[in-house]
Amino acid sequence: MSEVGWWGVLIAVVGGAIRVSTPYLFVSLGETLTEKSGRVNLGLEGTLVMGAMSGYAVAHLTGSPWLGVLVAGMAGATFGLAHGAICNLPRVNDIAVGIALFLLGTGLAFHLGKPFIEPSAPRLPHFALGAWSASPQVRAALEINALFVVGLVLAPLLLWGLRNTRWGLVVRTVGDNSDAARALGYSAEQVRAMATMAGGFLAGVGGSFLSLYYPGTWNEGLSSGQGLMAIALVIFARWNPMHCFWVSLLFGGATALGPALQSIGITTHYYLLNAAPYALTLVLLVWSSSTRHTLVGAPSELRISR
Amino acid sequence: MTAAVPPPVEIVGMSKRFGALTALADVSLRLPPGSFHALLGENGAGKSTLVKCVMGYYRPDAGRVLVDGREYAITNPRQAHELGFGMVYQHFTLVPSMTVLENLVLGRADLPAVIRWDDERARLEAFLGRMPFTVSLDRPVAALAAGEKQKLEILQQLSLGRRVLILDEPTSVLTLEEADQILGVLREMTEERRLTVVLITHKFREVQAFAREVTVLRFGRDVGGGLVTDLTRDDLVRMMIGTAAVPEAAARAPIAERPVALEVRDLTVASDRGVEAVRGVSLAVRSGEIVGVAGVSGNGQRELVEVLAGQRRSESGEIRVAGAPCRRTRVEMRRRGVFALTEEPLRNACVPAMSVAENLAFRTFDDPRLIRTGVFVSRRALRAEARELIARYGIRCQGPDARLETLSGGNVQRTLLARELSGDVAVLIAHNPCAGLDFAATTEIRARIVRARNGGAAVLLLSEDLDELLELSDRIAVMFEGRFVYETPREAADPHVIGRHMVSHG
Amino acid sequence: MRLSNGAETAAISAAALLATLVLFGGFVALHGLNPFQVYGVLYLGAFGTWFSLQQTLTQAAPVMLTALCTALPARAGLLVIGGEGALVVGGVATVLVGVALAGAPPPLAIALMCLGGALAGGLWIGAAGALRQFRGVNETISTLLLNYIAIAVMNHLVTGPIRDFAQVLKPASWSIGEAFMLGEIPGTSIHWGLALGVVACLAAWVLMRHTTFGFGVDILGGNVRAARMAGLPIARMVLLTCFLGGGAAGLAGAIEIVAVHGFASSSLAVGFGYAGILVAFLSRQNPLAVVFIAVLLGGISASGGLVQRRFGLPDAATLVLQGTLFVVVLASNTLYGRLRAARVA
Repeated sequence: MSEVGWWGVLIAVVGGAIRVSTPYLFVSLGETLTEKSGRVNLGLEGTLVMGAMSGYAVAHLTGSPWLGVLVAGMAGATFGLAHGAICNLPRVNDIAVGIALFLLGTGLAFHLGKPFIEPSAPRLPHFALGAWSASPQVRAALEINALFVVGLVLAPLLLWGLRNTRWGLVVRTVGDNSDAARALGYSAEQVRAMATMAGGFLAGVGGSFLSLYYPGTWNEGLSSGQGLMAIALVIFARWNPMHCFWVSLLFGGATALGPALQSIGITTHYYLLNAAPYALTLVLLVWSSSTRHTLVGAPSELRISR
Repeated sequence: MTAAVPPPVEIVGMSKRFGALTALADVSLRLPPGSFHALLGENGAGKSTLVKCVMGYYRPDAGRVLVDGREYAITNPRQAHELGFGMVYQHFTLVPSMTVLENLVLGRADLPAVIRWDDERARLEAFLGRMPFTVSLDRPVAALAAGEKQKLEILQQLSLGRRVLILDEPTSVLTLEEADQILGVLREMTEERRLTVVLITHKFREVQAFAREVTVLRFGRDVGGGLVTDLTRDDLVRMMIGTAAVPEAAARAPIAERPVALEVRDLTVASDRGVEAVRGVSLAVRSGEIVGVAGVSGNGQRELVEVLAGQRRSESGEIRVAGAPCRRTRVEMRRRGVFALTEEPLRNACVPAMSVAENLAFRTFDDPRLIRTGVFVSRRALRAEARELIARYGIRCQGPDARLETLSGGNVQRTLLARELSGDVAVLIAHNPCAGLDFAATTEIRARIVRARNGGAAVLLLSEDLDELLELSDRIAVMFEGRFVYETPREAADPHVIGRHMVSHG
Repeated sequence: MRLSNGAETAAISAAALLATLVLFGGFVALHGLNPFQVYGVLYLGAFGTWFSLQQTLTQAAPVMLTALCTALPARAGLLVIGGEGALVVGGVATVLVGVALAGAPPPLAIALMCLGGALAGGLWIGAAGALRQFRGVNETISTLLLNYIAIAVMNHLVTGPIRDFAQVLKPASWSIGEAFMLGEIPGTSIHWGLALGVVACLAAWVLMRHTTFGFGVDILGGNVRAARMAGLPIARMVLLTCFLGGGAAGLAGAIEIVAVHGFASSSLAVGFGYAGILVAFLSRQNPLAVVFIAVLLGGISASGGLVQRRFGLPDAATLVLQGTLFVVVLASNTLYGRLRAARVA
């Protein structure tokens, strides 16, 4: 009996990791891009919620979940652009602006989303890789949602882009030595605004996952801090998109571990497990920070790494 | 990257003013192909301004640039680059987290959307094969030594086809060997007519060993120059620092044999980059004496001042005030009467957003006279004290509550003076106290420093203005590459000898 | 972050407020409503009646304290966003102290409980300050992470070791008992926590604006190089401001236990900490202004219900108003120094 139980936990964790990690993946990829350009966007939580709401609303109204995803992304891009533009003004504190947009985004999302709490919207498709199994747990665990696959392709693509395209190099330059970027004729402000906008787009898409797949509804308790968590995730992943992929899975798995253990009767330390990703990141930060130099791998222009 | 000969360049009548300050006045330069031209001058002489006008960073008020006989109006750096001008700065414009290869590719004007690294690598390896020195393509720039970074900056310019290379004090962060190697290679390339070089420097050794022609600037004007082989060091020194006449000394009370008030023993200080900026410096200043320290900025003065003022830790060595070791804490510095006039006061010594009255009280806000009961600061007493200081030191402001950042440079400096000189001064450290100020403010500040000295303070005055040092000091020392290399009493001071020590060994 | 020129601050703040009202008015007009009517109801729901005023003040009390958690370290140049976590930690500590002191005379117990809560919060944020000072760990990130850790630990304790199974509505901790509850201000339905909050802000203001410690902190926050030159004890100032800020937020948590709930539960983490960040920035880190801004924001929150009933506008509209205000005020920061040409004396 316990044999099956522990297998069940493992499968649940794997399935949960894939499922839960998807929004983390998108938001962290977006924030990686933003931070590579030297800006930190703490408003992603609001962007995420806004994406969830707008995606759900559009999917409900049009019947197409993918259209919802697209609009969610565009909503996120708008918030990202707002963040980028305001922070480009001199003397403006970008961390505070992030928190402000987080509040504004959440508020707007709740406000505009009221009519959509009851109605249902079409769900995003998934690949049923577990169809061969008789066990419902295995089948549930191996349902790979479509956005995860997109993210799976996006992570290495982003890594490749940062290394091999002109704009990837420019973003990295702006984030590491904005004087050098200016000497080359690029406007650091514009590049940062663009990067923040792209980051917002991805965060919006990540938010749409929450409402259009899992948990699959829209209500005001939908997000549990994935947007802010992404900041920690990006640091943990050392600003590397492929690492973001693996760390998202790790964090997703950790989050899924709690419910999985609960299902076989282990209920202690459920919340502590939830805190594990944050504690891990804090430990990592303490271990790798020093008063004498910046974090290894951190873009030098990033305020939080100084 | 082609083997093309650099074009003849002529700069005619460049002038540039910043507000009331004339940075550049009617300077002309001829650069035939393959020339190696040194620009010599003290800080603020106009060298950087000249090249920035040529490179398109500044718009000159007057002047023309002719390339191959044709006149061009250069309004932005991109145009300068297209004409083949390239500039290598003191601070690096490299991206630390990227590799050498990535940095070299980054500078390309026609960077394609998707970079084919194999092609780029092949191209650059071929290019590097033609260069007299090389850097490994795959190393991250952050891991390079300063010399390698400088080489990379030069290689980058050359790889972009820049044929007229301007270098702004490129060897300031290099060792002697690295400097010689780089400049030697550049000299060879000019002899092969592959390159024209303009070298901004203050080091005579570089001028005489590598340059062919030299132009000396002083206060924005061309005060002389010619073929390096035709000029002696003394000629150059004389052009750089003006007439040989020693300025009138400030009225001073005679110093009897007074005790040593400030003593520094074997002080070693690291700069921000981890390099040794101050190397085992020892000095002693007696009370009632002004010891002037001459030297071009960047030879360790800033780090020395920061340690003495309590803003930086030393690696080793001792600081003694009146014979006893002095820790850089608030209580001790006040008790011993150690005060400092740092350079760039808004950046280093004041809080621009706070009021004049508050800035004036930095040293005294926890003084029992200003404290009402226990720990409370009496703002009224603060303001009254400030008014008194404002009147005494002639600080022109809208009142004690005006924010410091609304004051002009001279008045900010007066505020700093008022704060530092109004106490019981036993030791005063002053670093470029009159930089950027007008004649009236300058005279006033110098008079106050002398008055402090006459009142018994031991003054250590570091300045880039040799005239100032000659006017005020009782003794003059020279700081070069982190060490004190020369010392002379004022009466025996020869500006040319001092000038020579500022820029070379021996 | 701190200005001593009142006129400029007042002008720019007024402009920001006006811009916010215009923007929100436009937002409201898109719903087909008359902005002025909405503003009228907002005022009514915030300050218009005795009932709404009490609601407002009750809402403002915890936020005043969590705002100090951001404002005090900010004056020293740190950006701390850990009010939420410190509040939660303070609440849990309060319960533990209260239960341990069962049977003691209530006034003593209440005092010790508040002290315990404040101490816990102070240590929580003080730890972040120490990490920053001695390890170079960015305090914004560390306090953000500590928020989540605090909430997780609280949830763990509340559903496990200190759980009171008699509570059926939601998982909750042991109760401190009716005797230990802080009462209401006579004649009102506002608990005494409001007084504590106001006193704390006043004390903070006196400390920061009138003592030598506060003066030193101003120098540190204004220019760290000048602070070093003045020989100020930087590490001590950083740690103390973090400790005091965290202590204020911890006190807010203690008040939530002692004056509102009587036990710890997930109701501790409802966003008071984040609202405090907003209040701190709007008050430009001035503890005295915090009192008024907290009341203003409390008013906006409190009026949400009324706005909803009158106009059918979702109560999240007040969140939109707050968010807009925050964004506009932050953006207006760029105007400082531009409105007046630097006077050359």
